[in-house]
Amino acid sequence: MRNWRTCIAVLFFWSTGPFYSVPAFANGPIVAAAASIRPALEELSARYNQVTGQSVRLVFGSSGTLANQIVNGAPYALFLSANTAYVQWLVDLGFTQGVPVTYASGVLALYSRPGLLGQTENPLLALGNALEGGTIKRLVIANPEYAPYGSAARAALEHAGTWVQAKQVLLVAANAGQAVQYALEGDVDVAFVPMPLARLAELQKTGHLQALPSEAFPNVELDQQMVLLPDADQKTQEFFAYLQSIDSREIFSRHGLGAPALISPNLQH
Amino acid sequence: MLSIRIENNTPALKVDFRLPMGTLSAIVGPSGSGKTSVLRAVAGLLAPSHSLISFDNDIWTDTETRYFRPCYQRPLGFVTQSFGLFPHLTAAENVGAALTHLPRRERGLEAQRFLELVGIGGLADRRPSELSGGQSQRVAMARALARKPRLLLLDEPFSALDHSTRKRLRVELKRLQDALAMTVLFVTHDLDEAAELSQTMVLLRRGQVVQQGPTRELLRRPSTVEAARLMNFANLAKAEWVDSDSSGITLRWGDVLLKAETGPKSPPEGPIYWTIRTTDVFLVKDGHPDESSLGTILSADVTEIIEMGSSVLVSVIAARGGGELLRLRLRPGALHRHNVSKGSQIRIALNAQSLVLLQS
Amino acid sequence: MDWNAFNLSLQLAAWTLALLLPIGVVTGRWLARTQTLARPWLQAFFALPLVLPPTVVGYYLLIFTGTRSPLGELIMSWFGVSLVFSFPGLVVASILVNLPFAILPVQRAFEVVSSELYDAAACCAMTPWQTFTRVEMPLAWPGVLSAAVLTLGHTLGEFGVVLMVGGNIPGETRTLSIAIFDRVQAFDPLAAGQMAGFLLLISLVTVALGYGVLEKRDQRKRRSA
Repeated sequence: MRNWRTCIAVLFFWSTGPFYSVPAFANGPIVAAAASIRPALEELSARYNQVTGQSVRLVFGSSGTLANQIVNGAPYALFLSANTAYVQWLVDLGFTQGVPVTYASGVLALYSRPGLLGQTENPLLALGNALEGGTIKRLVIANPEYAPYGSAARAALEHAGTWVQAKQVLLVAANAGQAVQYALEGDVDVAFVPMPLARLAELQKTGHLQALPSEAFPNVELDQQMVLLPDADQKTQEFFAYLQSIDSREIFSRHGLGAPALISPNLQH
Repeated sequence: MLSIRIENNTPALKVDFRLPMGTLSAIVGPSGSGKTSVLRAVAGLLAPSHSLISFDNDIWTDTETRYFRPCYQRPLGFVTQSFGLFPHLTAAENVGAALTHLPRRERGLEAQRFLELVGIGGLADRRPSELSGGQSQRVAMARALARKPRLLLLDEPFSALDHSTRKRLRVELKRLQDALAMTVLFVTHDLDEAAELSQTMVLLRRGQVVQQGPTRELLRRPSTVEAARLMNFANLAKAEWVDSDSSGITLRWGDVLLKAETGPKSPPEGPIYWTIRTTDVFLVKDGHPDESSLGTILSADVTEIIEMGSSVLVSVIAARGGGELLRLRLRPGALHRHNVSKGSQIRIALNAQSLVLLQS
Repeated sequence: MDWNAFNLSLQLAAWTLALLLPIGVVTGRWLARTQTLARPWLQAFFALPLVLPPTVVGYYLLIFTGTRSPLGELIMSWFGVSLVFSFPGLVVASILVNLPFAILPVQRAFEVVSSELYDAAACCAMTPWQTFTRVEMPLAWPGVLSAAVLTLGHTLGEFGVVLMVGGNIPGETRTLSIAIFDRVQAFDPLAAGQMAGFLLLISLVTVALGYGVLEKRDQRKRRSA
């Protein structure tokens, strides 16, 4: 009989564990970030821990989902988006603290199966030729409706005059991360993917990966903004500042993200 | 006294009768007459729209005051047609289920006692699926008796059993009732069973009481045509009321005058019916010393003879009677002794005491 | 292997079971015994989570119980907890999504208990509670066990609702299934596969044990019949 009682006591304390957990900030502020900058941010937070001894918790998802969660009460302290539209949306709704800061600029990369396009300075031209020639069966982009990398891809194709043909073999992924997944596993000939994620998935090993200059997709900004959220505390602000430092800039660029076009006035170093 | 008054729509019931305490009473009627519903209402398993049920001045149901004592608070035992034994318990545990007020050890002992009382002490560890019909019935009986109820309700308790088991159990029921001094109310469609076991009888048809009273009374003197039909009285004839005097009532049946000892003193509204038990119609032998003491004597022609085991049913038509067939029961020996055969003419006697007048 | 996430999954399953089983038993039993005309509608209502995509359920839970909603605000002011992005929120969502698994098998099991037995129990002077514990439950427990096993298995693998309502907060709402998804997103198929294999094993063993108990009972019944 005594065994039963201790068993139940242990069970009780174990099961109520999650209810004891103090508010979300006990283990460091939660930083919500777009999935496409995952590798960069993971390295950054590890470095931050090394340097300052502080830690942050990272949650990744698509910018849209995260923004929606924030609006519905998610306990995030800082939001790193891959799509400025969502940041602006949050600002308009009053869910932010302070002014958004551009932390990096996204880089659109063109991935192609080995040997398909050959070594070329103008991959989009080569792509156009391949489309004409019918050697492309499947082309992946993220959804241009709401993914910035998707609309950049579409702009690039339109600018190169090959959008109409591309549509015939187009496969639309739900988000940029999924585009990378298709490129990795699917029977895909060409994919427009975010460079950081492509590098993480090591697409350069399975095919040809080439960054596209921002002129290739005019009128589309791949600026990535971050903004403090109402729950941000001192610790969050410190991390926020760190993300704008030279250190961070270097780590971002190593993961395939460009420097922000403008130097933000909030830069502290 | 067990007082039962029920008015209900579905199932349709309109009954009002009282039964004496400590006796074995039967509710008899064809299927669909509402007998089971009455029993369930008494048990507290049915809540009629209007009802007043009390047992020995203890009110169990009273719709006027909105009082309804739940079944489990009534001191009764109930054996249903299909016994309702708990399939997951042994026979002893089934009986023990009625003894939840006792601690476990005593429960087992009491259960065993009652199983022995009904004659199946050795089957205590069997499950209902391992018992025969008769054995299951006894377990159900033991379970109903275990709490020493003051009222025992039985719903066609023997109908699912074979003939010999039925006979045996009827005897045991009588014995138990004597031994435990309970009031027993049982429901049956079998008139013979009711006649054999009960001291009081209630005839039910289409949810209404046709007649009620001491069994012997009912069996001898049905009050209405309906009652007579329900009790399978073979003889039923229509007559006219003629006269009433100190010796009885005179009726005209066809061309003859019949005399009944008891009946309405003044001319009733509408026709009057009469009946007589087949065993009360006598065959008049030639050379009878005092024929006038037998009652009204009529000539009749034999139309049919049916031999049924130890008795013979003879159908006759009285020559000057009202035209209805009369039936009498004879011993097989009498048949041959008096040369009764189809087509032959015999004389029958209708006794004034045996003639029962019925309202329609 | 994210043991934290596994622990969280277990805790979620434990709480869901503890709270949902009584609800399932009460509701299933009531559905089995009631005569109301609305019965088919009620059954359909409780079966809804089976046909609705879990992400849809999660999304509407987010909208209706999130901190922006009146209900969410009420709960926050009364209890000081939020039902979104928190473990309590996961428990609530999990209970809702598992309703059909907890109610349907129980309902079927209680339907088998004939009204004749209820009458007999009442005539044995058994109070309604005694009838429940000594007659109904012994006859209906396989259904309850079935409900428990299904709920457990389903909760361990629950993903859509948990993701929507809980987010992916490590240590709080990152259950094992979410952790697996997280690893997939991070292009770490090895870790994902490892955890998925583990989850599969646990679920298989649990469900098999549950059905094993039922098997043994059937065997016992067959032998004694």
